[in-house]
Amino acid sequence: MTSIQALAVVVVAVPLVTAGLVILAPSKHVTMLARTCAVATSVLAVVLVGVAVRDAGHPLIGHWIVVDAAGALLLAVTAVIGLASVLMSASYLHGAHSSFVAEGHRDRVYYGVLFLFWAMLLAVPLAGNLGAAWLLVEATTAASALLVGFSGKAHALEAGWKYLILTSLGLGIALLGIAILAAGVPTGGVSGLAWGRLATFASGRSTALSAYLLILIGLAAKIGWAPVHNWLPDAHSQAPPPVSALLSAALLPTVLLVAWRTDRALAPLIGVSAAQRLLIGFGLASLAVAVPFLWRPMAFKRLLAYSSLEHLGVMALGIGFGTPLALAGVALHIVGHAIAKALGFYAATPLLVHEPRAARHAVSGVGRTAPALGATMGLSLGALSGLPPSPLFVSELLILAGGVESGRPWPAAVAAVLLALGFLGLAHATIETLVGKGHRRNVTRLPGLRLVTTLGGVSLVVLLGLTAVAPWLSGSGFVDALVRGVP
Amino acid sequence: MTGATGWLLVGLALGLVVVRRRSIAVGLVTTQALVLAVMALQQAGTVSDVVAGLALAMRAVALGALFFVAVARSRETQPLRARVPPMARAGVAVVLILMLTALVPAFGLTSRPAERAVLALVAAGLACAATRRSTLFQVLGIVLVENGLALAAIESPHASSVIIELGVTLDLTLIVCVAALFHLRIFSEFGAGDSAALRSLRD
Repeated sequence: MTSIQALAVVVVAVPLVTAGLVILAPSKHVTMLARTCAVATSVLAVVLVGVAVRDAGHPLIGHWIVVDAAGALLLAVTAVIGLASVLMSASYLHGAHSSFVAEGHRDRVYYGVLFLFWAMLLAVPLAGNLGAAWLLVEATTAASALLVGFSGKAHALEAGWKYLILTSLGLGIALLGIAILAAGVPTGGVSGLAWGRLATFASGRSTALSAYLLILIGLAAKIGWAPVHNWLPDAHSQAPPPVSALLSAALLPTVLLVAWRTDRALAPLIGVSAAQRLLIGFGLASLAVAVPFLWRPMAFKRLLAYSSLEHLGVMALGIGFGTPLALAGVALHIVGHAIAKALGFYAATPLLVHEPRAARHAVSGVGRTAPALGATMGLSLGALSGLPPSPLFVSELLILAGGVESGRPWPAAVAAVLLALGFLGLAHATIETLVGKGHRRNVTRLPGLRLVTTLGGVSLVVLLGLTAVAPWLSGSGFVDALVRGVP
Repeated sequence: MTGATGWLLVGLALGLVVVRRRSIAVGLVTTQALVLAVMALQQAGTVSDVVAGLALAMRAVALGALFFVAVARSRETQPLRARVPPMARAGVAVVLILMLTALVPAFGLTSRPAERAVLALVAAGLACAATRRSTLFQVLGIVLVENGLALAAIESPHASSVIIELGVTLDLTLIVCVAALFHLRIFSEFGAGDSAALRSLRD
């Protein structure tokens, strides 16, 4: 085992061990232990990301572990959002009045399951073969379903149940596709499912296409692409806010990476054009379904969930267009979306204390009654809408330009119209949130507000930094490595 | 795989789609999983194959026990009536099976009947999850899909990875444990393990 592979194992092992430790630790030390281990996990992951980005042109490829540019991108996002979610969790738990488990065990069970979920999420981008990637994605379902239903309330149980059943069935369909591939790869076993070996599939193009379709449709149910997205708004709106952030900012794009790698691996067999058409179809369908909901007055977290549907659609389009310009846009979009979306979900913790009706209804005028909270929410919504200078504005431009460059001007044009409509919907929500008509507010001290505003300040700097570096991204070695994929 | 074994597996799957009592349904799925375990052990050529077969048997027994506990702890005054009547459910399952076997070309298992049996089990599992109201039947639908995939692994001409097979077994067990927890909480919250009660979140 090389030192990089060992580091990759440690990055996953630390949160895994922490999950066990927080279950056993005395109650008064649980939060401190969780925070310390979260910092350690993130630091280790960032070191691994640094190594992967430095050697982006020479990815480490094994049957079990892959450390490449695309994996590094998702690893960085998952590490940072995971750390922020652990830090925000104490504020959520402080204000939570009910849970799935007995009061005395609540915090340790929450952190235990959260670290398990995080460990699996960190492992997915490092998975060296399709079988292992599937196993890890399925494992995230078990852990995250418990977290979605963690409050134990009727709506949370409903959301958790839908999420568990729909995504498990979807992943079952994906596994059928993987079984078909495994039967047709001459070497068999784990090495046969390694990303680079999938192209040796020997049972013919039509069988390969069937397998690809089953895998993509199955993964689409977990990514939340329309029309198999029904669980997404419910799960994201009912989960504890730090978990919603991880679901939206890290889980969805991480599963997208598995679809992306499968697409790249099978494209020589099924034809690049067929694979791209499917992804573009999912992208446009997701945009078309999301946009009408972005125009409706809606509970804040639910609005963010529909925005996830829109943005995962944009990422699907970028991967479908597949040009260096579009893939530079996808990389930028994954990072920008993660930061802006996670910030929005974190703001929901103090928001639900400030205005409890925000759990079910649209909010307005928060900028007047709680300026710091309103500004954070406004920053999140503004960035997600693609309002310049948001990096999402630049990434969407890059993806649309990539569409034209790839010879698909019509899908790019339709996407441009849908994105403009989505922008108007979210821009209206931003204005309402900041300066809309106010309601009588709870003026008690808001849990987690200081941390949320600090994260807001950091996010603003990072988002502007991303916009600044965007023009140089498309010609970089990093994007070249993304275009090459796992050889 | 003999033709009789294939028909037995598909018959048990269709039985799950139509039966009304939860305990009978659990018995059908457990029997099916045990048949698969016996097949795996009969065809085992290496130590890894034996380990995978034993894991399949343990999974069958563990999940069967878990389901029976869940049934016992959520006794309902009368069985839930599904949205779709039994014969219509069987019809949906048969149509799905025919569609899937017609659409998916030969994919390299040891025989075409084995491939059809795999696709039939997956289709019946999907039909069960989609047409039943009972939360327990929906989970049994997922297990049925996974039984179909276990059959694919058994009938694959290549040696599959024992780690991947054990991982799939572990994942399914985890999913069913979490689903059983949800089922019991839903039962205590709504007074029935009825997915029809879970429709308040709509836009």
